[in-house]
Amino acid sequence: MPQLPAQVQQFIDALVSAPPLEGYLVVGAFLFAIGAWGALVRRNAVVIFMCVELMINGVNLTLVAFADYLPGAGGLGVSYAVLVIAIAAAEVAVGLAIVLAVFRSRRTVNVDEVTSMRG
Amino acid sequence: MTLISALGVVLSRSVVHSALFMSGSFLGISGFFVLLNAPALAAFQVLIYVGAVTVVILFGIMFTQKPQVRRYRTIINRQFWPGFLVAAGVGLFLAYVLASENWGAVQAGHGPREVAAFARDLLGVSSGSGIFTLLFEVASVLLLVAVVAAIVVSRRKMGQGVDRGVRE
Repeated sequence: MPQLPAQVQQFIDALVSAPPLEGYLVVGAFLFAIGAWGALVRRNAVVIFMCVELMINGVNLTLVAFADYLPGAGGLGVSYAVLVIAIAAAEVAVGLAIVLAVFRSRRTVNVDEVTSMRG
Repeated sequence: MTLISALGVVLSRSVVHSALFMSGSFLGISGFFVLLNAPALAAFQVLIYVGAVTVVILFGIMFTQKPQVRRYRTIINRQFWPGFLVAAGVGLFLAYVLASENWGAVQAGHGPREVAAFARDLLGVSSGSGIFTLLFEVASVLLLVAVVAAIVVSRRKMGQGVDRGVRE
């Protein structure tokens, strides 16, 4: 096997070794920010739900990263993450039902046009 | 890959493409969970998010979308750049705080890699996790309530409602 250049070897070592905690945290933070951006700027209510899911996943990733890296956590964060996933699934079910009900009475899912609570 | 897919959710013009980008992003996150010593959680992520939530959202798209002009003007409201500034500010601030904080001598590998240990944690059997017995029951009741509420909210009332343009 030919000897790789030093930089390439370093890069491969960095890839296969365990990434630092900050990597997970930064990815989680940016996922949260992208989800927040989408929830702010999109008009379609279904897309807003997807963006909220992205935010929940960013937080979940941060939680699991802390649970795995901090010694005092004892791995219990993973159990909390399961509960978060269950609650997010419930939220999606109820939210899409509400979107369906709104669509049935208004014929639109555009949140800019749904300005009144009266059906 | 996770972040690019997440950007695709926000920026793609078709709602169906947004949903597929979302499932790609969730797949990336489940890969992170495998790296973080939580393979059972990664399996849950694939089953629930990539499977169930994506299918439910695709159903919602099927029921609610009209053929529409897909231009950025119509899908994005006026706060595009202010929203971007706010979100980028939040993201950079969070990333800076989380990255510059000194977390001490942390290392990977504290998570419960075996599924058996994970299950003991989740069911509240192992020490220090007694609260999860209660939380597990509360979560199951919550899921039941959510299913019933979804059915009740989306049910078509007698003699009202229009489906696919056919008046009943």
